[in-house]
Amino acid sequence: MKFIAVIRQVPDGESRLKIEGGKVDLSGVTMILDQMDEWAVEEVIRLQEKHGGESVVVALGPERFEEAIRTALAMGIDRAIHLVAEGYTDPITQAELLAETLRAEAPTLVFTGGQQADWDSQALGAAIAEALGWPVVSWTTQIELEGETHAKARHDLDEGAEVVRVALPAVFTSQQGLNEPRYPTLPGIMKAKRKELKKVPVSASSKVTVLEQTIQERTRLNKLIDGKDPVAAAHELVKLLHEEAKVI
Amino acid sequence: MILVILEHDGQRLRKAALEAISRARQLSSLGPIAGVVIGENTQAVAQEAARYLPAVYAAEVGPYTPEKWAEAAHAAVQKSGARVVVASGGRQARTWTARLAYKMKAGLLEDTLQTSTDGQHIIGTRYSFLNRVTERQQAPLPVVFTAKPNTTPLAEPEGSGAVEALEVSLPGGVEVLERLSEQKKGVSLTEATVVVTGGRGLGSPEAFAGVEELAGALGAAVGATRAVVDAGWRPYGEQVGQTGKTVQPNVYIALAVSGAVQHQAGMNKSKYIVAVNKDAEAPIFKIADYGIVGDVHQVLPALIEAAKKLKD
Ligand SMILES: Cc1cc2nc3c(=O)[nH]c(=O)nc-3n(C[C@H](O)[C@H](O)[C@H](O)COP(=O)(O)OP(=O)(O)OC[C@H]3O[C@@H](n4cnc5c(N)ncnc54)[C@H](O)[C@@H]3O)c2cc1C
Ligand SMILES: Nc1ncnc2c1ncn2[C@@H]1O[C@H](COP(=O)(O)O)[C@@H](O)[C@H]1O
Repeated sequence: MKFIAVIRQVPDGESRLKIEGGKVDLSGVTMILDQMDEWAVEEVIRLQEKHGGESVVVALGPERFEEAIRTALAMGIDRAIHLVAEGYTDPITQAELLAETLRAEAPTLVFTGGQQADWDSQALGAAIAEALGWPVVSWTTQIELEGETHAKARHDLDEGAEVVRVALPAVFTSQQGLNEPRYPTLPGIMKAKRKELKKVPVSASSKVTVLEQTIQERTRLNKLIDGKDPVAAAHELVKLLHEEAKVI
Repeated sequence: MILVILEHDGQRLRKAALEAISRARQLSSLGPIAGVVIGENTQAVAQEAARYLPAVYAAEVGPYTPEKWAEAAHAAVQKSGARVVVASGGRQARTWTARLAYKMKAGLLEDTLQTSTDGQHIIGTRYSFLNRVTERQQAPLPVVFTAKPNTTPLAEPEGSGAVEALEVSLPGGVEVLERLSEQKKGVSLTEATVVVTGGRGLGSPEAFAGVEELAGALGAAVGATRAVVDAGWRPYGEQVGQTGKTVQPNVYIALAVSGAVQHQAGMNKSKYIVAVNKDAEAPIFKIADYGIVGDVHQVLPALIEAAKKLKD
C-alpha cells in the first residue's frame, strides 16, 4: 500500500504579517509546515506503521517549501516529490498539476489539510479528488482501512458529523481530533537529509488573480479595567457595553 | 446565465439560499438567473424557490455526498448554460464547489464577502491568512463562488417561476453509514449578536454554568475554545476558531481565553471584543476593546449580577 500526504508551507500564525505594495510580504516571516497538513502527514505515517507499504509527501510550491518537506521527512515520511512553481496558483489549477504526479504514483489514498493557513482555502483536497475521479472525504476526524479496497471514516459536516464507507483510492482532508502529530526527533532529522527528494519544475497560469491584499484590523479601544474589586469592575464593564458601545 | 445552488433543510430554503439569490441578483448584468435545489424533497422546496426565481431545477439525489452535489450542480450548469455559479459557503459547499469548479474548468472564489462583475470577470473580496488579511481576487468567466454566510441581505420574493425536474446520473464511491447530529440548544452561535466564550482558564466543566448564566442574561450564544472542547468540557459544535466556527457578533466576550491565533481566526472580525483574563499580557487583550484583568471566578459572578440588574 502507498499513502501520500499533499503538504504546503505557510507562515507561522504567530508571526506578524506586513503588506508591501498591496500584497502580503512574507520576507522575514517564520514559515512552517501547515498545521492541518501536519495532521495529514501524521495520519499517513500511522497508516503505514499499521498496514505497511510506503509513505510519500507531494508538495507544489516555491523552493522555500523544501523546509516543510524536510519536516515531513523528519517525522518519518519515506520520500518526497516537490513540484517547484513560484508565485500564486489557485487550488483548482494546483489540483490539475498535482493530479498528474498522484495518478502516476497510484497510491491507496491521499491526505491533505482541511484548510490552508495562508489562503484560507478548503478546496485543494476536493479538487484533487475531482481531477483523479476519486471520492473525497473532507474534515476527517477518524479513518480505518477495510482491506485494500475501502475505508471507514468519520468526518464533520456543516452541522454534526457522519460515518461513511468510501471506495479506495480516495482523498481525505484533515480536521482537528484526527491525531496528535509527533515531533521530529534528532535522528529523524538526520535521516531526513538522506531521504529521496525529487524536484520537478512545473509552470501553470492561475485562473484566479489576487488583485490586492490589505490588513484591515479594527482599531481596538483597549480599555482595561483592574479586576481587584470584581464587583466594581463588572459594573463598569456592563455600563460601558450598555452606554458607550451600546451592544447589550 | 447565472445559476444559484439553493440550500435547504428538506422542507424550506435556508437563509443562506436567500443570501445567495441576492448575490446572483447583484450580477444580473450577466444575464437571467436560474436556481437548483439538490437533495431530498426537492420538488416542494423548488416550489418555494420559484417565488424568487424564473426557473428552478429540482435534482432528487438523496442524502448528501460531495460527488452527488457536484454532479447535480454540473447537470444544472449544462442545462442552463450558466457561466457563473453562486453557492453558500458552509463546509460542505466548500468541498463540492471545488469539484464543480474543476468539472467546469472554472475559477473558484471561496467564502466571498462581496462580489461584483465587469462583464468578463467576477471580482470577490474575502479574508485570508487565518482571517487576518482582506483580499480582492478576480477570475475570468466561468466562475464558481461561495458566499460567506451572514454577509448579504436576504432576497425578497419576485414573480413566479417554473420548476423542472433534473435527471442526474449518480456517482457512487461513498456510502453513508451513520449521521451524528449535533444537539442544539439556546441561541445559534453563528447567528448570535452576542457570544460568550469560555476558555481553559475556567478550570472545570462545572464553571461553564456561569458562562451559560451570563449568556442567558444577555441573550447570547455560548462558545468554547479548542482546549475546552478537547478536554471534553463542551461539545465541538460550540468551538470558535480555525477548525471550529467563525463568528462576527456585535460583541464577543472571551472569559479566560488566551487568544491564540487559531482562536482569533474565528472571532477577530467581531464588532466589539471583551476579555476577562488574569494575565494582563494575554494576547486576547491586544485585540480587546474592553477588558477586566482579574480572576474569572470572581469577575464572572459579578458580571452575571450586573447583567441581570441591567435587564430589570
Ligand atoms: C491547526 C490548529 C487549529 C486550531 N484551531 C483552533 C480553534 O478552532 N479554536 C480554538 O480555540 N483553538 C484552536 N487551536 C488551539 C489554539 O492554538 C489554543 O491552544 C487554544 O485556543 C487555547 O485555548 P484557551 O484559550 O482556552 O486555553 P489557554 O491557552 O490555556 O488559555 C487559558 C487562559 O486563561 C487564563 N486564565 C487561567 N486561569 C484564569 C483565571 N482564574 N481567571 C482568569 N483567567 C484565567 C490564562 O491566563 C490563559 O490566558 C488550534 C490549534 C491548531 C494547531
Ligand atoms: N533529504 C533531503 N531533504 C530535503 N531536500 C533534499 C534532500 N536531499 C537533497 N535535497 C535537496 O535536493 C536538491 C538536490 O539535492 P542533491 O543533488 O542531493 O544535492 C537540493 O536542493 C537539496 O537541498
